Amino acid sequence: MFNLKYKDDFFKFILSVFVLAVVVIFLIAVIVILYYSYPSISRYGISFLWKKEWNPPAEIFGALTFLAGTFFVTFLALIFAIPLSLGTGIFLQEYCPFFLRGIFTIIIEMLAGIPSVVFGVWGVLTVVPWIRESVEPFFSRHFSGVPFLKVEENIGYGILAASIIVAFMILPIIASITKDSLSSVPKLAKDGALAMGATKLDVIKDVSMPYALNGIYGGIILGFGRAIGETIATVLLIGNQAIVPKSLFSVGYTISSMLANTFTFAVISPIYASAEVELALILLLISLMVNIVGRNILNRVIGGRFSRSQFGGG
Amino acid sequence: MEHQQFEPVFPIDKGYLKRKKIYNNLAFLFAIAAFLIGAFPVFHIIYKAFAIGYKYLNFNFISTLPTGFPIGAEGGILNAIIGDVYLVVIASVLAIPLGIGTGLYLSLFGKKRTNYFLRLLNELMIGIPSIVWGIVGFYIFSTNAGFGFHFGFSALAGGLTLGFIMTPIVALLTEQAVNQIPASYIEGALALGATKFQAAKSVILKAALGGIFIGILLGVMNIIGQTAPLLFTNYYNTGLPTGVTGPGGAVGDMAMLIFIYIHEPSRILHYKAEAASVVLLLFIFLLDLGLRLINYLVKKFIL
Repeated sequence: MFNLKYKDDFFKFILSVFVLAVVVIFLIAVIVILYYSYPSISRYGISFLWKKEWNPPAEIFGALTFLAGTFFVTFLALIFAIPLSLGTGIFLQEYCPFFLRGIFTIIIEMLAGIPSVVFGVWGVLTVVPWIRESVEPFFSRHFSGVPFLKVEENIGYGILAASIIVAFMILPIIASITKDSLSSVPKLAKDGALAMGATKLDVIKDVSMPYALNGIYGGIILGFGRAIGETIATVLLIGNQAIVPKSLFSVGYTISSMLANTFTFAVISPIYASAEVELALILLLISLMVNIVGRNILNRVIGGRFSRSQFGGG
Repeated sequence: MEHQQFEPVFPIDKGYLKRKKIYNNLAFLFAIAAFLIGAFPVFHIIYKAFAIGYKYLNFNFISTLPTGFPIGAEGGILNAIIGDVYLVVIASVLAIPLGIGTGLYLSLFGKKRTNYFLRLLNELMIGIPSIVWGIVGFYIFSTNAGFGFHFGFSALAGGLTLGFIMTPIVALLTEQAVNQIPASYIEGALALGATKFQAAKSVILKAALGGIFIGILLGVMNIIGQTAPLLFTNYYNTGLPTGVTGPGGAVGDMAMLIFIYIHEPSRILHYKAEAASVVLLLFIFLLDLGLRLINYLVKKFIL
């Protein structure tokens, strides 16, 4: 008897070591980023966040340009993705005939599985020419006076191209969580509303959506977290020029594309590298906060079930 | 007595009903349009990749190393395929034991509070942007400063960094797979006097094997498409690696190859990038098919 008990404790000990290793990996990741960004934090302080100049030879670093680019792309992507993904989720759960639901869901999950570099290549060879040849000429003809829609250089690369692609990358996350949340609405409530003479739209608007709304917020927050760290597609599409974007069509630079392009040169100078790691720290902190909030909502609402779409891509 | 006509409490407005019907139909049109726009890229990406890359898609493409000038203009992508095997194996060696161990701990020994924190920790690890993992991997493995690993830009550094990304995926899906087993299986084993180790070995691992395998395949599917972490830990190699660390230890990688080719100002390399995308997508969709099949079999025969 003692022997068996001992064996079980040993088993628990082994598993605890594995768990500890995972915890250590997480802590090391956070500590490495904090440690290597410390020189920059202590030298530039909080003003790092709103200084505009990024001048490595003079050792003057300010993150505003990249923060602006990141938030511009992320919010534009969310603006594109939210209506589309809510529509997709509602279609899959409420309108789609039952025998097609499986295959249509697989198509949306396939979208989640496409790697970001393939998205980027598609953007370079399809979306950029489309913007250059159709969208930008149209806007420069009809909306040339509107401040936010001014076309400066007709090159196709820029905020718009990047955010369209990022929108497609976060669409499956929000859509599948919307679908899961809608599927947890009690059938009785919906049937009751239908029996009272409500149309399908009324049921969705007044019964299903209020019930599923928390889960959908969680999905949108997770989508935000994914969009903010998206690297490869933005590197290929945003144009990579360190200016604060003034319009939908101007080029820009996001934190992640900045890191991807310059980090390997930056490590030559410790303070330059440290400034770059501080950019990574900003990304890390935002993603941690966003995920804590989003996951807590989702765990409460749909019980932490994982839909396939949350892991895909890269 | 004369029949009395009651006025309805809510007067029926014909226009109101008509409007309702129109809104209803508009909502349906919006939903189906949203789905079609969302599904469009899947088909267009596959179509475009085939349409541009088809003339390079032959057996030579996957069986020869890139040659010519600029490098890659002739030859194929064998370096990337071999490199991906290296990276996936190294990442799996790290991620599978850690992931399965953590998942089993969560579902067998976890208390409510520890479970909450461990789950959240794994979910946060999934949420960390891959470029940040790249920087972490660079400072841990690739620089000479820091932790004493002097791997340089090599398969080992890249693979272990990818392993960090894969571990939480395997862990969470293992936990989910174990939780899906009917509690009576485990309770039955425990009631017969089995220790938790015996229950895990002879009941849980067998019943959850399919689910755990799904987690592993999902992790592989994720890391095979990762580019950003490899930028600072492995980069790229046009030839075959001579080792797994140090100079000559870097390997090619499919996603990295596509990324580098699309950056080059050469039309041939752009076409080759699309051809390589076809191969990469084929890998990913095959893995996808495999895990759907396992999912189906598990649902049908085990649970």
